[in-house]
Amino acid sequence: MADAITASVIQRRFFSISEEMGEAMLRTAYSQILNASRDFSIGMFDAVGRLIGQAEHIPLHVGGLPFAMKAVTDYFGDDIHDGDVILLNDPYHGGNHLPDLTCFIPVFLDGHDRPQFWTLNRAHQSDIGGSATGSYNPAATEIWQEGIRIPPLKLVDRGIMRKDLLAMIAANVRHGPDFRGDLAAMIGSARIGAGRLKELVAEYGLNIVNDSIDHILNSSEVQARAAIESWEDGDYFGEAFMDDDGHGTTDIAIRASVTVSGSELIVDLTQSDPQVKGFNNSSYANTVSSVHYALAYLVDPTIAKNAGTFRSVQVKTAPGTVVHPFEGAAVTLSTNHPSQEIAEAVMMALAPACPDRVVAGWGKRYRIAISGKNPRNNKPFIWHLFHARPGAGASCNGDGWSNIGELANGGGLKFGPIEVMETRFPLLFEKHEFRKGSAGAGKYRGGYGVSLALKLETDEPVSAVAAGEGKHHAPFGLFGGDAGLPHSYGRRPPGSSQIIDIPTKTVDLTFESGEVLVIESAGGGGYGDSAERPPHLKALDAKSGLELTSEE
Amino acid sequence: MYRIGIDIGGTFTDFAAVDQSGSVVFAKYPSTPEDPSIGLTEGLCALADELALTRDELLAQTDLILHGTTVATNALLEGKGAKVGMLTTEGFRDVIEQREGLKPDRYNVQMPAEPPLVPRHLRLPIVERRRFDGELIKALDEQSVLDALEVFREEGVEAVAICCMHSYIDPATELRVAELVEQELPGVYVSLSSKVLPEIKEFERFSSTVVNAFVGPLIAEYMQRLSTRLEGAGYGGDVLIMHSHGGLSTIEDAIELGAGLVLSGPAGGIAGGQYCAAVTGVDDFITFDMGGTSSDIALLKDATPSYTGNRLVANTCVALSSIDIHTIGSGGGSIAELLPGNILKVGPESAGSTPGPACYARGGAAATTTDANVVLGYYDEANFLGGRVDFDGQASKDAVGAIASDMDVSLTEAAQGIVRVINTQMAEGIRIVSVRAGADPRHFALLSFGGAAGLHIADIARLLDIKRVIIPRSASVLSAFGMLASDLRYEQVRSVMKSLKDLSQDDLFNLVEDMRGLVDQKLNKLESLLESRRHDLALDMRYGEQIFEIRVPADRTTLKSDDFAELLAAAFHQKHEELYTYSIPDQEVVVVNVRLSGVGVMASMPNEAALPRDASDGRYKSREICINGEWRTVSVYDIDSLRPHTHVEGPAIIESKTTTVLIGPQDEVNITPHGWLDIAINQSISAASAA
Repeated sequence: MADAITASVIQRRFFSISEEMGEAMLRTAYSQILNASRDFSIGMFDAVGRLIGQAEHIPLHVGGLPFAMKAVTDYFGDDIHDGDVILLNDPYHGGNHLPDLTCFIPVFLDGHDRPQFWTLNRAHQSDIGGSATGSYNPAATEIWQEGIRIPPLKLVDRGIMRKDLLAMIAANVRHGPDFRGDLAAMIGSARIGAGRLKELVAEYGLNIVNDSIDHILNSSEVQARAAIESWEDGDYFGEAFMDDDGHGTTDIAIRASVTVSGSELIVDLTQSDPQVKGFNNSSYANTVSSVHYALAYLVDPTIAKNAGTFRSVQVKTAPGTVVHPFEGAAVTLSTNHPSQEIAEAVMMALAPACPDRVVAGWGKRYRIAISGKNPRNNKPFIWHLFHARPGAGASCNGDGWSNIGELANGGGLKFGPIEVMETRFPLLFEKHEFRKGSAGAGKYRGGYGVSLALKLETDEPVSAVAAGEGKHHAPFGLFGGDAGLPHSYGRRPPGSSQIIDIPTKTVDLTFESGEVLVIESAGGGGYGDSAERPPHLKALDAKSGLELTSEE
Repeated sequence: MYRIGIDIGGTFTDFAAVDQSGSVVFAKYPSTPEDPSIGLTEGLCALADELALTRDELLAQTDLILHGTTVATNALLEGKGAKVGMLTTEGFRDVIEQREGLKPDRYNVQMPAEPPLVPRHLRLPIVERRRFDGELIKALDEQSVLDALEVFREEGVEAVAICCMHSYIDPATELRVAELVEQELPGVYVSLSSKVLPEIKEFERFSSTVVNAFVGPLIAEYMQRLSTRLEGAGYGGDVLIMHSHGGLSTIEDAIELGAGLVLSGPAGGIAGGQYCAAVTGVDDFITFDMGGTSSDIALLKDATPSYTGNRLVANTCVALSSIDIHTIGSGGGSIAELLPGNILKVGPESAGSTPGPACYARGGAAATTTDANVVLGYYDEANFLGGRVDFDGQASKDAVGAIASDMDVSLTEAAQGIVRVINTQMAEGIRIVSVRAGADPRHFALLSFGGAAGLHIADIARLLDIKRVIIPRSASVLSAFGMLASDLRYEQVRSVMKSLKDLSQDDLFNLVEDMRGLVDQKLNKLESLLESRRHDLALDMRYGEQIFEIRVPADRTTLKSDDFAELLAAAFHQKHEELYTYSIPDQEVVVVNVRLSGVGVMASMPNEAALPRDASDGRYKSREICINGEWRTVSVYDIDSLRPHTHVEGPAIIESKTTTVLIGPQDEVNITPHGWLDIAINQSISAASAA
């Protein structure tokens, strides 16, 4: 039997192994979405498919990894061998959306003919095929238009790379060489984890490591249950909305009925709206994942996330809904939306049960990708808007952060320096500062959104794709706090003073040379009654030149 | 004549003096945070005592004082700096509060927003705008500056930060604004982004400039008091100040660039590490400085540290070049806690020095790393930490005992558990820092300093498969000591933002010559101190499609070569491969910044004199300690009595007034000619079973 101290030490080692896998990935990935934005996650599983450790990169990824693990073992059964590398991205086989590719390595120990561990790396590819560059295609109405689907697939078979398969996948994505580079980094990172796990077993012996895993998972379960137990029993309800699907359906509801009973939690999403034609459906794995990160935020952000953490949580969905679509529905936007709305519905429901743990509403993602010719060097360019991020919601701890973006990544993504953007792209930022009146008022106010005026310094018209949410539905306030202002996305053609609205989801935008994008991003929701706002914060608000929503 | 190194830390001010024969003496004196120059001048008396001199006699025989200070660091940590007004290009008023949209700690969604150093009502827009290529598309509206300055006057602003978009290309607007500030608000400290950090990336540049304005007036005041006190004590020599980049400057230059002092103290430690490398002949060191709340880790490869331009101090970005030091949240004061479900967690919460570990008898009841060490019998209870703090061993037993009873294990087992967990954390922290630098820790020696490290360092090395640990005699005052061996350093940086193939060779060469001229001007003023000078050139480059650049050293002759572009590209590809395991030779390479450091090499410190040899083997008592789960009686050695070339075989304790070192079974200690500990780590004991 492993003692508690050995289990504690082994847990530190699991943290460190995951972190080392993550650092190796950062150092070797090609794409900036991976090595700069860290849009990837690490996981380790044991012989029976339990998540034993993960690196805290993308909160959304973590809850979904067990589904992917299960899809792999279900599919291959006993046909798994030392030296295999398995890939998967299909949302209908445990993935969340196609750009997130997962690579699995089975860890074989001497004397065992079945893998005793698995190491995983899930990473967002800069392109996975389909009809839109970057693979966010708001026109998609079925998954086949979104990119290449990879159900569990052996890329390396007992140490032999299946080159023809790799060539086939690389031929189906837009940046083949980058894809190969990133894939090599993913495999390398998973192999480092495999090596470290073998060292750990060599030091302690498999029995002690396995006993320690039981101990570690039980401990996370006990910690999470203790938090849930402190919440008042009852049936709660929360409802959050997406604006539209880009194909005529609007005000798409996610409904969460949440039952707290002792340390057990049932999250019932079955009353959510039917699945939609557009690409904002959420696969079952993505939905469960979204519930899990909401709970990770609520329970205690420091509890280790593993298979024990959410044992006491049950998620119910109904097939055919937007949170559990039938196979074939388009899903790419789901990791932002409805992931955020699922988390929000859960948080809104649980707000009365744990008022000191919830946060008010955050702003939503609004992607714009511009492509055209750069007149400074006559080369084509593609630019993705990461600026004008929305504000975060307030909590009982204080004001929300301004312009840190969306709930699913918890504020972990940077936007690039404006001076660098202006140097590299034909763009002039006329303004990029906090948006007046955007933050929801309250005892603690939401974070401010941003006012952006961006002028296109191109010679020729450029084309653009918009894939956004949150223009109609605003970040919610809590306990008397106000909602923040929703997004406003518009354009001002050259020589005009009229601002024309930019739709949330469209593939056929054209901007003229000299046209100015006029973007006002959402502010976060407020928390508590404004009358209780601490005087020193009131004094700062009054001098800031940025009124809060309630004063408008 | 003497040279004196002085490092002011939070609790103690450390002193080291060396004379021409190379003999070194040390002293420690309590810091006086309200005015650190008091502790400094009083502590000089303690240092003089060690030499049987009076302070005035010592100062009369001293020609150089080298000084690291935490004035800037503390101002940031405590948020107690000058009241700053910021003037910035209209439309970009919130850059320093926007923080590029990044919140640390993703899972902690309740983390309250960090207040910026300058609140919004003191960040005022001025009408002007320059494009990326330097073209002025909106000329400065001076009235907008005057209006803002009127607000600053009413608000009683003490320092002004001037931060214009793209000012790294052309400082003209900022210079004119500075004139207006000096005219309207005479005597106010002025900080220009084009001077502090003339580098592309507005957040880093603006934030560093604001930090400079925030700490500048305090540094100026402090330096003024220090100079007055030293002059009052009859000192007529030079005073040089340690910067975060590990080099020294004059007082005047330190006042102008106060933001460059935020890591002044730890940088001295790394300089000490470099000195250790020179003395021991070991080139690849990992330095490990264990403090009360946290521990600092740095890598020296070929006796050279790496630098970073991206540091957060007190959650504030300071992008000036600094030595790359990583901090982990484990230390002697880290608090042990039993989580539900029986998992033992140690830190990052810390008892600090107040209340401190339970055994300090200052009201702390939580079990800390130090208390676990007390339970395991490692300390001299009669002379705990050299008698500098009170000691209550029973309090340690009570605190650790509470955890033991919750875990249902013996007191000893609980204490060992705490030590195992913290050692694992520290070892894993070192492993991650090495991985980030693309290095394998097994190829490094571990250099241990700071008072708390000695009890853990051998086991940390064992966990990392590191074979050699070095503990200098000056381990507890290594920063002060390191300053003695530092050089003058002035840095210049310019943003270029051009593809290598579009870069004119003449322009590049002339730019570098201009930068050389500027650093030479600074060094010329200190000509008398210099033995030689060196110019370190580096280019920050990246592939066309990347956002982050890497720093690649270059030399001047390369710039003159006909195929300079190919040579620079080749150096970049190679460095990229070293760091990231691959390169893309057919991709365009962009030069982002050109950096030049002028290093004024000072007359080197005489080698530390070897100690006399005599018959004493330093063993002076024995103690019962718990090691690998077993209680046994081991010899205790006095570090100051250990003679060169003595061998000590573990298990043993080696101690001094300021540190206690635990030597594991079969670890072997060689005492170097200078009385340092050079420990060969026995790797046959499984790390898993080591306590």
